[in-house]
Amino acid sequence: MDVLAPAIEIHDLRKQYGNKAAVDGLSLTVPRGTFFGFLGPNGAGKSTTIRMLTGLIPPTTGSIRLLGMAMPGEEIEIKKRIGLVPDESLLFDRLTGLEFLEFVGRMYGLARPVAKERSGELLELFELSDQPRKLIAEFSKGMRKRVAMAASLIHRPKLFLMDEPFEGVDAVGARLMKDILLDQVRQGATIFLTSHVLEVVERLCDRVAIIHAGKIVREGPMHELRSGSDTLEDVFVRVVGAEREFEKLDWL
Amino acid sequence: MIAAILRAQWLSMRSFRLNSRRRSAVFSLITAFIWYGFWAFLALTAEEFMSSADAAEAIRIGLPAGLMLVFAYWQLAPIISASLGASLDLKKLLIYPVPHRKLYVIEVLLRLTTCAEMLLMLTGAMTGLVRNPLFGGATAVPRIVAPMLVFMAFNLLLAAGLRNLLERLLTHKRVRELLMIVLVICAALPRLYFASQRGKGGFRRLLSEAPGGFWPWTAVAQMALGKEVLFSGLILITWAAAAFAFGRWQFERSLRYDADATAAPFIATSRPALSRLEAFYRLPGTFLPDPLAAIVEKELRALSRTPRFRMVFVMGFSFGLVVWLPITFGEHGRGSTIVSDHYLTIVGVYAVTLLGQVSYLNAFGFDRSAAQVYFSLPVAISRALAGKNIAAALYIFFEMLAVTAASSVFRMQIAPAKILEAFVVAAIVGLYLLAVGNLSSVHFPRAMNPERVSQGGTASRMQALIFVFYPIALLPVFLAFWARYVFGSQLIFVLILSFAAVLGVVVYWIALESAVGSALERREKILMELSRGEGPVATE
Repeated sequence: MDVLAPAIEIHDLRKQYGNKAAVDGLSLTVPRGTFFGFLGPNGAGKSTTIRMLTGLIPPTTGSIRLLGMAMPGEEIEIKKRIGLVPDESLLFDRLTGLEFLEFVGRMYGLARPVAKERSGELLELFELSDQPRKLIAEFSKGMRKRVAMAASLIHRPKLFLMDEPFEGVDAVGARLMKDILLDQVRQGATIFLTSHVLEVVERLCDRVAIIHAGKIVREGPMHELRSGSDTLEDVFVRVVGAEREFEKLDWL
Repeated sequence: MIAAILRAQWLSMRSFRLNSRRRSAVFSLITAFIWYGFWAFLALTAEEFMSSADAAEAIRIGLPAGLMLVFAYWQLAPIISASLGASLDLKKLLIYPVPHRKLYVIEVLLRLTTCAEMLLMLTGAMTGLVRNPLFGGATAVPRIVAPMLVFMAFNLLLAAGLRNLLERLLTHKRVRELLMIVLVICAALPRLYFASQRGKGGFRRLLSEAPGGFWPWTAVAQMALGKEVLFSGLILITWAAAAFAFGRWQFERSLRYDADATAAPFIATSRPALSRLEAFYRLPGTFLPDPLAAIVEKELRALSRTPRFRMVFVMGFSFGLVVWLPITFGEHGRGSTIVSDHYLTIVGVYAVTLLGQVSYLNAFGFDRSAAQVYFSLPVAISRALAGKNIAAALYIFFEMLAVTAASSVFRMQIAPAKILEAFVVAAIVGLYLLAVGNLSSVHFPRAMNPERVSQGGTASRMQALIFVFYPIALLPVFLAFWARYVFGSQLIFVLILSFAAVLGVVVYWIALESAVGSALERREKILMELSRGEGPVATE
């Protein structure tokens, strides 16, 4: 593994569904230790990109290197170093939170006692330990996100891939998650995050890319993107070309 | 509004078919063609019989019994097959301002999905009666057709009410499995009864004695045969009105029912602080390394907490015994027969095949979208499949223990050698079925709701292929038994069985390798299938 290589290197990545390209020639480099925001309107190709980065779906063309290793090729080694919070549930409904975290820890190669100890501590940290026998199926959406976040941390990954990690999480939980993520970046981890909450991205991320219709339309450090008095929201709306269509509807 | 709901369902189903299930749809059509072709044949036979003037006496006696059987099939078949058919997903529709009576109309019409066979039979009988020179004719058409139509409506309304009642009862955790098992065993008991000498007498009496009382099937028969038309009509309309009132009442109760609130307090207190099962769950960790042990442990936990799996597991040794007992002893008393000699083996293999629907044939079914864990964690997919297979094999072993224990409850004297034989045969058959299961799990995955007790298991295409695969999987073992029967040699039996076991290992290995390759190649399709939702009508 090349320790100096960027955390993420994507070159000319394309994912084709029929005659539509969900991701269309995407190239991107994310340096290590970066808190990277990956933004875009609904259907822009964010989740598809993350799913390709995690190996869940193969790209049609293009290359991916994560932490200096090729995906696919060194898939298992890459996965050992990734913490994943997907947009949809990857939780086993018929396990308790503790059982699921212990399962994930062991899948990442942690010894059983270590996995169990860390699982307990993570549940405590994410305030999920008061109902230890509650099944994940009975969790609220926010609680499920907290478990997913805890699972992504258990093996101390070098790279986090997160798709809408704060969705459905209450303010206290979201604050806790942000603090943990910032601490991980301070320790050298890289975070690749998608979110529709632009205020959160603005506060956390030091680099941002905006994807629209499968292509990167803007990319750079946060301070460069937000030149002058523009907020990230202003830049985003301008770049993806959203218009006030509702004004044309007389009846509304 | 009804049209909008049906259109939404149609569009959901259309997109479902257009994507990756086109071939599955073809298999479904072929299966449906064979099934309904069979019933159409029976309906034509019934039509021919009912139109014969020579059969007048038999029709007079047999029609009420026949209609009673139609009623029993209509109401019980969905329960026995653990498939309650399509129904409205009220959670998705209640947010809209749709009048309840309109929803009820759709709900009642959806009952047609579980009883098309009986509609065919009734239509056949009705047409035959109209053509019968003694009972039918142009003037008799209203007298024959009207009660038959009311009888159909009565059955539809009652089935809708029963479905709603069952659905609510089934939301009570633990209670639902118990209820389903009791219902299924109750449904099988008549078979046991009629197979017995006493039962045979009772059935003959039922067919030979003139029907009486106020039953709906009696009333329909009386009207159709032109006896006490007004009085019978009154009875029939009363039954139909009662069924309507019951159905509507149950539907309204279902609309107001809060399943989560009902289940919540039960969940909190249902599991003991330190489960005795914990030792069982942790068992794989003592002899397997991680991550294999972690996967097996996860499967053991998850399956044991899945209502559908629990029900099928219990059915294997309860319903299985009830089904096979009459075949074993009904015809031949308690004498020795091929079936009775191999009773434990037969019930064991039956239970193992039954388990397939909820475990190895669709290994990722209950994981649904969470199956992506196996593709995103640093574990080879072969480990995931092997872990799931080991968990299934452990449950097969426990199923066999349960079958043996249940057999002893029926005071069956089974020699230790026969018990050993049953376990060995189940293990070998299990090996072949696991091989088939690994392939079907990656080629025909289907998301299954672990909460719903009544639903199918594998994808429809796989259900069609099972008819091919099961005989092939059973063939090596069958050959061993056949050789013992023909040559009368235990040695030949053991040799062929050993060969079947070795061959099974090879077949399993090849199938696992192939399944791993397919899983990696088809990962996107597999995850898409497992994440699929449904339209406003939940199909089972």
